[in-house]
Amino acid sequence: MALTNVKLGKNLRSVSIVGVGATPFFDSITNDTYKGITNGELFGHAALDAMKDCGIEPRDVQFFYHGSANPYILFKAVSANMQVADWFGMRGKGSVAHSEGCCTGYIALEEAVMAVASGMYDCVLTGGCDMGKGMPDGNTPDHMRTALTAEIVFPDLDSLFDRAYGRYLGGGPGMNHDDWINFYAKENNMTPEQIDDILAHQAYYFRRNASLCPRAMKRETYDELAKAAGYDDVWEYMRSPYNPKMTQYLRTSSDSSVADGAAACIVVPTEIAHKFTDKPVEVLGIGASVLDAIVPHLEKKATAEAARQVYELTGLTPDDMDILYVNDFIGSSAFLAAEEVGYLPKGEGWKYVMDGRIAFDGDKPMNTNGGRTSYGHAFAASGLADIFEAVTQMRGEAGDRQVKKLPKHVFLRGFGGSQNVRCIILKAGF
Amino acid sequence: MSNEKNIKAEDIFNPEHIVEKFWNGLKEGVVYARKCKECGAIEFPPHLACNTCGYHETEWTTLTGYGDLVTFVFTGVLNARLELEDLGLKYVCGEVALDGGPAINAVILGINKKKAREIKDKLPVRVRPVFYDMGRYTTLFFELDE
Repeated sequence: MALTNVKLGKNLRSVSIVGVGATPFFDSITNDTYKGITNGELFGHAALDAMKDCGIEPRDVQFFYHGSANPYILFKAVSANMQVADWFGMRGKGSVAHSEGCCTGYIALEEAVMAVASGMYDCVLTGGCDMGKGMPDGNTPDHMRTALTAEIVFPDLDSLFDRAYGRYLGGGPGMNHDDWINFYAKENNMTPEQIDDILAHQAYYFRRNASLCPRAMKRETYDELAKAAGYDDVWEYMRSPYNPKMTQYLRTSSDSSVADGAAACIVVPTEIAHKFTDKPVEVLGIGASVLDAIVPHLEKKATAEAARQVYELTGLTPDDMDILYVNDFIGSSAFLAAEEVGYLPKGEGWKYVMDGRIAFDGDKPMNTNGGRTSYGHAFAASGLADIFEAVTQMRGEAGDRQVKKLPKHVFLRGFGGSQNVRCIILKAGF
Repeated sequence: MSNEKNIKAEDIFNPEHIVEKFWNGLKEGVVYARKCKECGAIEFPPHLACNTCGYHETEWTTLTGYGDLVTFVFTGVLNARLELEDLGLKYVCGEVALDGGPAINAVILGINKKKAREIKDKLPVRVRPVFYDMGRYTTLFFELDE
């Protein structure tokens, strides 16, 4: 029911990531350290960190992209690029604001790569910033924010879905969280209890990754949380009212932890990348597919299509991939997407989850920063935070959570906005 | 002299209102779709072009609104359909393969936990259309055709 005839062409010139920057993910409503911080400041810090990382100044950057999943609700802003440019010394230069829901951070990289690959620019900044915990407190200066309540958020989520038809038929909320895991359970003849156990283990290992990641928002391990709640058995805790069901299959441990934060990177032509860093990371390719939420199993289908495109372009196979990052604001997406892109074997990915092989110190590491459920989810910033983590791991600079084998290739599966999908392959260019 | 000065916008662009026709159709119990003029695939809900083969032209047709319920899930606090909760409806969300048309994500009314247990091993099961009055518009839900 959708065409799959796209064949990606080679970029006119190769593009590499030379600088990365990221703020921690946090809650600026309750954390006094961050209360009062604004979009321009947050994006500016991430942007300047990315520039510093590759030894350049704002004057050296020619163009930038500002991504936000929902700038109107979160910042009461349209064309947010214009509103943040002055914060990091780019007044008067060209820029674009874009918004593709929770896929924004991956599309941010795609856009910047195209801007450089075309020959139009030699040095481009691309960043994402969202402050999902709050919203403007009336018509006031940006430092005045108030908590974003469920009464505002939930009705507004409808804006993700097709207004012509989908959101009023069956393409609104309802199927989007559990469609794929329900399909998987049926296909593999698994009980709800088995699925519950798999998702608990996945959340457990991702939280362990996050506990070692200073920028992550949720860092208490489930062992620590279980003990504090009086449970000797962490798996009993994971099934307890401390971790209630939010959908038919997903507990809170498999739901994204909404956050505030920003992340950014600098891309340049690969041929000059070594002038900026000893450890450039080449963007080998980006596959893309978009399906509206009225399409059954859209996440599975779009993931398969985007992965097909990027594997075909690069000539690489899943066996070449050393780490996988999956946008898992729907927790089950992580191991399901891992199977779909071939990183874990079809129908057997859950075994890798149960055995902890997806942890940072396993042989099939995934979401080494903890993913959306533990690192946090600042929407547009999340994809770029994944890219920040991927580059950090490829450079061998991830400290206690460094994967065992220095990664040569990293695969990222972006997803969001009901739903855009991108599949990105990065290569260590050193 | 060109007479373009006398041409009005409405002379060069006077499109049929496809979305409006679809929703007005539901009010009258008619399920409108479009059919590809090249490959014959049914485009539902109706759009201008064909998303099956990528041809530019489709034409009107109708569906019965009957189909097969292939799979379904219950919703929870995270993914509830607020407008249906407000109406106090019992519903599930599922995949419905429409007779003569594509499969879509849909809302199926009247399935509670007991009924779900009864049908879950019998899927796919038949469903029929429910033209549900939401006040300002009528939408298309489904119910078991038992």
